[in-house]
Amino acid sequence: MTDPSRILRFLDERFFVRDLRAKTKDGVLKELADLLAQDREVRDPKLLLEMLKKRESLGSTALGSGVAIPHGRSLAIASIKILFARHLKGVDFEAPDGQPVHLFFLIVAPPLDRNNEYLPLLGQIAEVVKESSAREALMKASTYADLKQVLARGGDAR
Amino acid sequence: MPDNRMLDRMQKLSHLQDLEMMLHEAGDAGSKKREEDMGFELHGIEKLKAVRDKWRAQIDPRDLRVFDRIIKRHPRAIVPVEDRICLGCYMALPTSINPGNTDQERLLTCENCGRILYWLE
Repeated sequence: MTDPSRILRFLDERFFVRDLRAKTKDGVLKELADLLAQDREVRDPKLLLEMLKKRESLGSTALGSGVAIPHGRSLAIASIKILFARHLKGVDFEAPDGQPVHLFFLIVAPPLDRNNEYLPLLGQIAEVVKESSAREALMKASTYADLKQVLARGGDAR
Repeated sequence: MPDNRMLDRMQKLSHLQDLEMMLHEAGDAGSKKREEDMGFELHGIEKLKAVRDKWRAQIDPRDLRVFDRIIKRHPRAIVPVEDRICLGCYMALPTSINPGNTDQERLLTCENCGRILYWLE
């Protein structure tokens, strides 16, 4: 069983985004990278965006059920970062179920992750969003505290 | 501060490093299985290799030779510098190595481990 508090350590109120504006997949990736670039530990936003775009060549990071988790490692980042963003209208992200994506978690890590936290965090978030009750709560979250509450329940959002 | 041409060369090499790392993880059975178990599809390895090869064609052949030589020994051929410490081998860099006063034709490398230094500040 994973420890939900682990995700909370990487959250930041600046990276709770209520409604994205972009209308395309590439546009969403750019908006996410630009938002994260507010953090001083993002060394090179352009490099980060290129990594995220190329990662999609490997296979879409959309999981279906309206969720995508763009992720990857890059020299552009000095430490692990997580950003949550919602797209109220939904956007085509080449999801396996063909449905538009409304919920985005961006997770990026430096090439060397000394505490080996990146993949477990990715897995933990993927686990949380599998629960339909968690997805519904994330769609309704109006404050950063709401987001933390959903994630603290660690996928057991019933 | 390195000049714009050096910045451009370093950005190209850094992106190549990101792509190599992505391919390395996608090709590693353990990491691949973990991501697939999470629900991600990783069917585009050949497509990503083609993207990587296309990217390589945009890089100065001399820089590629240096990168290829180092990546054979170190999977992370490029490493950041923090507080004058090479984050590849964790050795302090001598004051003679500085992004502002080196020969602009040469990539900055760590004298101890030989990795390319990502030092853009």
